Amino acid sequence: MIDIRATVGVVWKQESARIIAALLRMVHDVGLAEELAQDALVAAIEQWPVQGLPDNPGAWLTTIARRKAVDHLRRSSRFDGTDMEPPDSPAASSGDDVLRLLFISCHPVLEKPARVALTLRVIGGLSPAEIARAFLIGESAIAQRIAAAKRTLADSGVAYGLPDGPELVGRLSSVLEVVYLIFNEGYSATSGDDLMRPGLCLEALRLGRLLATSAPDDPEVHGLAALMEIQQSRAATRIGPRGEPVPLHEQNRGKWDRLLINRGFAAMLRARSAGAGKAPGPYVLQAAIAVCHAQASTAAATDWARIAVLYDALARLSPTPVVRLNRAVAVGFARGPEAGLALVDELRADPVLRDYHLLPGVRGDLLLRVGRVAEARRELERAASLTRNAAERDFLRARAEAAAGRLRPDVPAADAAADQFRSGADAGEGPLLGAAVDDFLGGLRPVTAQAYRKSLFRMRRALGERTPLTTLDPAGVAAVVATLWPGAAPRGWNRHLAAFRSFAAAAGFPQLASGLRNRPVERAARSPADSAGAHDPWDRVDVAVRERVLWLMVRESVAPIGAVLALDVQDLDLVARRGPGVSWGERTAARLPEVIAGRTRGPLFLSDRRPAPARRPAPADLCPETGRRRLSYERAEYLYKQATGHTLRTLRP
Amino acid sequence: MRYLMLSKTQDNQPDEKLFTEMAAFIEEMTASGVLLATGGLDASGFKLTSAGDQVTVTDGPFTEAKEAIGGFALVEVRSREEAIEIGRRFLAIVGDGESLVHEVFS
Repeated sequence: MIDIRATVGVVWKQESARIIAALLRMVHDVGLAEELAQDALVAAIEQWPVQGLPDNPGAWLTTIARRKAVDHLRRSSRFDGTDMEPPDSPAASSGDDVLRLLFISCHPVLEKPARVALTLRVIGGLSPAEIARAFLIGESAIAQRIAAAKRTLADSGVAYGLPDGPELVGRLSSVLEVVYLIFNEGYSATSGDDLMRPGLCLEALRLGRLLATSAPDDPEVHGLAALMEIQQSRAATRIGPRGEPVPLHEQNRGKWDRLLINRGFAAMLRARSAGAGKAPGPYVLQAAIAVCHAQASTAAATDWARIAVLYDALARLSPTPVVRLNRAVAVGFARGPEAGLALVDELRADPVLRDYHLLPGVRGDLLLRVGRVAEARRELERAASLTRNAAERDFLRARAEAAAGRLRPDVPAADAAADQFRSGADAGEGPLLGAAVDDFLGGLRPVTAQAYRKSLFRMRRALGERTPLTTLDPAGVAAVVATLWPGAAPRGWNRHLAAFRSFAAAAGFPQLASGLRNRPVERAARSPADSAGAHDPWDRVDVAVRERVLWLMVRESVAPIGAVLALDVQDLDLVARRGPGVSWGERTAARLPEVIAGRTRGPLFLSDRRPAPARRPAPADLCPETGRRRLSYERAEYLYKQATGHTLRTLRP
Repeated sequence: MRYLMLSKTQDNQPDEKLFTEMAAFIEEMTASGVLLATGGLDASGFKLTSAGDQVTVTDGPFTEAKEAIGGFALVEVRSREEAIEIGRRFLAIVGDGESLVHEVFS
């Protein structure tokens, strides 16, 4: 007995793309087409249990959906009866319809995440919940993303025909990009505990196969299909029994899926014949590289020379940092680790790769091969701290420990590495950056620590948590820091540097900051507070002194408003004009005593009223002398807005 | 997940309509990326039997012809339900008969 409900769900997944695509030709609105298709599905849920399953459920649903579309068009009186086929005629070509829908769901007017979500929804037939699970995001976020995408398509009046000529190339590359994005998200999950999400790979493979049959004239379409089939052929061997990644050259080639490899080879042949006489595109080149690996019966038999040449061509075509990194790996095998290392070192200054764990990972491997073991270990540790994937992190830590020759033979690698990692600093190389930063922040007042934390954590991540301070040098620090905040305004940049200087001095390595250069700050008055006009807000006599001093302090110190509000009377250094994380100028200093008003402790800026007994704040936010609470950000913001019409932020240039 | 679908030989004679419908079905399943491989099988075949050190070869056709496998399809699907639906549509085209479906371990 076949379960009708389950069948309805399955049929929807298998057929919804064709149904929606056929309707799209009639109604020219993805959202409406999907709604009408779902109306047909409702009819199926009602009728199939009574009448039995139709032989071809997809055709049944399409017929019903087309009738509903005609009804809809009649009702909305847009139906003129001429440019539409009668509802019962067979679809012109369902392959073309689906391709048209795919071009729409991958339309460049949509942001990439929207293209991905909409494509999985209308082509893959996945529910928002399924898409959300695959990407580890909330279901409502996905539902909203899909709804917004449909609205954008409707609002921007995109053309629903198949693109041709020069437009086709760009549109097709957007489609290929979306498909490969989906595949990659499944193949190397960027976050979470599992290294792969096979469901997404399967969806992408299906999309790739669909494209290959419906747009067979484009070599890149077959190139992408070949690339995905061959990559997928290694799915079973690229993850070890403990969930760790297994590098290509260590995989058991006997377990590679020959069926998928052969499908990949066949797709590659189609790519070659479709692209005869043309220079190969990026997907064909990547597929050719995958073919090289698949053809090698052992890792040692890999034709690295050819792979390096293919990467040279790929790097010329799309010199993305990731391609250049892979090229360095290939060159490292084909022309020696020194040659590879030289290419990797060029990439270290690239801001795009600054948090990409594979850069230190690859560099660590190459350093190992040239015998620079201590550096190799640090790079592998840095790679471990950068990856967001748990299995990969354990793997990289294990490699780092193996590099250090610390691996005890009776303990499984990952355990030993994890123990080692938790146990913290080891003897010989002095304090590690990670622990030193924690110590430094731990010794500060919470407000100051708060102000420094972000800057220092960022630098620590880039320099490596397990990097011993003794191995850092000023030029190296400066080079890495230079990649961190490319778009930072001078003031922000200088604050980051100041945080590092304080840390380096406190840790006993002040020279490490000697390579860092402040950026000049333009003093031009650009903020609305200035341009607003004649009177600076702190000079207004109609405003209470507390507000005026607060505003002046924010303006003079350029400190975060939260840090200013967090100041306590007992921590102020009135002579040096500073408190934790905040230092102010003369004008603030002159008026500050009016706000302190003889108090010796407690919050500097107080609210007007005492809190109700039920809403007593933490003791630190309560003035022991007046019983009033610390002025809140919301209240401070409200007061400033009342007085000037602007937000407090505009006080900071 | 992958399933191997084996269809047992049918009594009814294939006609033009069946061929057309089956070709369209196979094309559809290939385009949607579900069908990885398919083929028809020679009804006679031969049988290998191993007993002790001895391997014997018996040529077909075998007497119990109704039990013979007439064709196979290897499909890649999201769920068991998808495999069932594909098998159902296959049977809707070929008519009365039996299909054996096994999941292929990866």
